[in-house]
Amino acid sequence: MPRSQLELLVLYQDIHLMLQEAEEEKIQFGFSVDGIDELKQAQEELAKNIDDRFLRTYERLKTRYRRAIAPVKNNICLGCFAKLPTSYSTKHHNEQMIFTCEHCGRMLYWIE
Amino acid sequence: MMTSINIVDFLKEEFFISRLEENSKETVLKELLQPLVHAGVINSESLVLETLIKRETLGSTGIGKGIAIPHCRTLAISNLYIVVGISTKGIDYQAIDRKHVHLFFLILAPPNEEESRYLPVLGKIVEIVRNSKIRRSLIKAKDYTSMINIIKKE
Ligand SMILES: [Zn+2]
Repeated sequence: MPRSQLELLVLYQDIHLMLQEAEEEKIQFGFSVDGIDELKQAQEELAKNIDDRFLRTYERLKTRYRRAIAPVKNNICLGCFAKLPTSYSTKHHNEQMIFTCEHCGRMLYWIE
Repeated sequence: MMTSINIVDFLKEEFFISRLEENSKETVLKELLQPLVHAGVINSESLVLETLIKRETLGSTGIGKGIAIPHCRTLAISNLYIVVGISTKGIDYQAIDRKHVHLFFLILAPPNEEESRYLPVLGKIVEIVRNSKIRRSLIKAKDYTSMINIIKKE
């Protein structure tokens, strides 16, 4: 199970996408997706482990963008393609901290 | 416009496991992830594993007749990857027909995949394993080259 607040949020976001694509997977490819309600419930359970202030930021960003968390590669926010300040480098990160892009406001997830 | 997908392009030797050793759903998912972990293309193994497990909550990707196609999109990976694994003894994967699974296609892709190949790739794999002759040969494939030859013939 992921431990950091950011990883929990990433999982939370990826479950949203999973739910969105469920119907398509069923209709196009015949996958069984009978567990939609169960998955929604699991997502709610997951949310209980996420700090309220992060969830609020996430929900606020979701009203503006399709995805609230953007991947970062080569120090570029892939949500808006702005270069991030070098002070954002991953070595300053800790488990319970979340950085946001100063240009678009999205929460940032480093993937390099 | 239809994107034409050549599935062989995604089937790499380093992402082929000819003999899966694990024997439960969760442990085999972890085993299938290992080639990607070793290649350094996964950001967080525990996160990807948990995402795959959540996908199984939605419905078993054990689609029957000895085949499973575990798949998900995850932010913890930056390209589309397929891992193929074969289990001679078969794994109790809670497949929809309750039969043991012998052949696994693990598919992972980022949510924002630019070329939108994820669903077409998923569809192509489903199409390949629907063919009972190909399915049976694939389950018996002894190595990477045999697997590729079977799929190329399709
Ligand atoms: Zn940005």
